[in-house]
Amino acid sequence: MISHHPSDDSLAHYAAGNLGAGPRLVLATHLSGCPQCRARVRSFEAVGGALIDSCAPADLPADGLERVFRLIDAPEPIRPVAPVALHPELPEPLRRYPVGRWRFVHPGFRWRRVTLPEAPDANVIMLRVGAGQKVPQHTHTGTEYTQVLTGAFSDSFGRYRAGDCVEADEDVDHQPVVDPDGECICLAAVDGRLRLDSWIGRMLQPLIGI
Amino acid sequence: MDTTADDMKLWLTAVAERQDRDAFARLYRHFAPRLASFLERSGLNGAEAEEVAQEALATVWRRASSYDPRQGAVSTWVFTIARNLRIDRARRAARASVGIRAIGHEEPQVAPSAEETSLAAERDARVRRAMATLSPEQATVLRLSFFSEKPHAEIARELCIPLGTVKSRTRLAMAKIRALLEQES
Ligand SMILES: [Zn+2]
Repeated sequence: MISHHPSDDSLAHYAAGNLGAGPRLVLATHLSGCPQCRARVRSFEAVGGALIDSCAPADLPADGLERVFRLIDAPEPIRPVAPVALHPELPEPLRRYPVGRWRFVHPGFRWRRVTLPEAPDANVIMLRVGAGQKVPQHTHTGTEYTQVLTGAFSDSFGRYRAGDCVEADEDVDHQPVVDPDGECICLAAVDGRLRLDSWIGRMLQPLIGI
Repeated sequence: MDTTADDMKLWLTAVAERQDRDAFARLYRHFAPRLASFLERSGLNGAEAEEVAQEALATVWRRASSYDPRQGAVSTWVFTIARNLRIDRARRAARASVGIRAIGHEEPQVAPSAEETSLAAERDARVRRAMATLSPEQATVLRLSFFSEKPHAEIARELCIPLGTVKSRTRLAMAKIRALLEQES
């Protein structure tokens, strides 16, 4: 049962195509397991369709239609083949992305980078935190999106289980703690810059390159 | 006379079933000029907007048979095509600078359930009714948050209203649309 969803604002930006590549991947991962948010995104897409219909028509060149017919009559551009599942153990669509090896930070805390070839500067990481451990305290300049893949953690706002998506605004200063009965693996992306304030943060920062 | 949603479905079906170029020309006349202005408001320059609108229409022709009327209005389908082309274009530009290849869309590859599909049939009409009930201020803020990647702070500066007002108007517009969607579903 999913109990935490991305905000309507984020889902609207996702539907509009205006979300950074990193947060977009985190939301897509949430959507693959959440029919409720998929319906929400479709509603916002319907808003997009309605907005197109209500747009004042632009002036287009007189030969515009012929140009489209020329595109249609030309051989179809080669579409990229569906990429192989690199990591079948991960949820769609994450399994199609190259993931680095786990990096050890200290016992009970590891992370690895998810590479987005189409957006090389996106910061998407997977965090693996041991049972009962605290996630490093941090603040950030943009919105932070975290999708729980396995396990569960809590912060002062609630408890988050596999399938849940947590969205933290820049003014949120939170310190999540993992459940005592098992490790927790999360996917996280920041729409903005991450600032880690703890000693772990200072150690991570040069590693993650943010 | 205004183009109706049913006209568009009819034309698209004609394109899908018998590659009807006249029907396609009608779709072009409705969508190409509106898409171009929509894309320009989304931040593309005039030439780019024109190009993406043309690519979108060519895609409408090629994928016509994959449109499922039960999934929603033609406009909604065309919107998603144009949106994906715009994302691809931005990514191609980013890749060109580092020289690596694409992975493809991260859109979840989930076939909609029968329930999701039957809800979709009513959704577009409901969304349009909901949008008609927004105040002009709410509609402006919704449009701005939809069209641009601008954060709320920038929208606030542009409209010369406090940040809190932008946030509350967006919330209200969203809540209104949501309330209508839930009440009728
Ligand atoms: Zn959800």
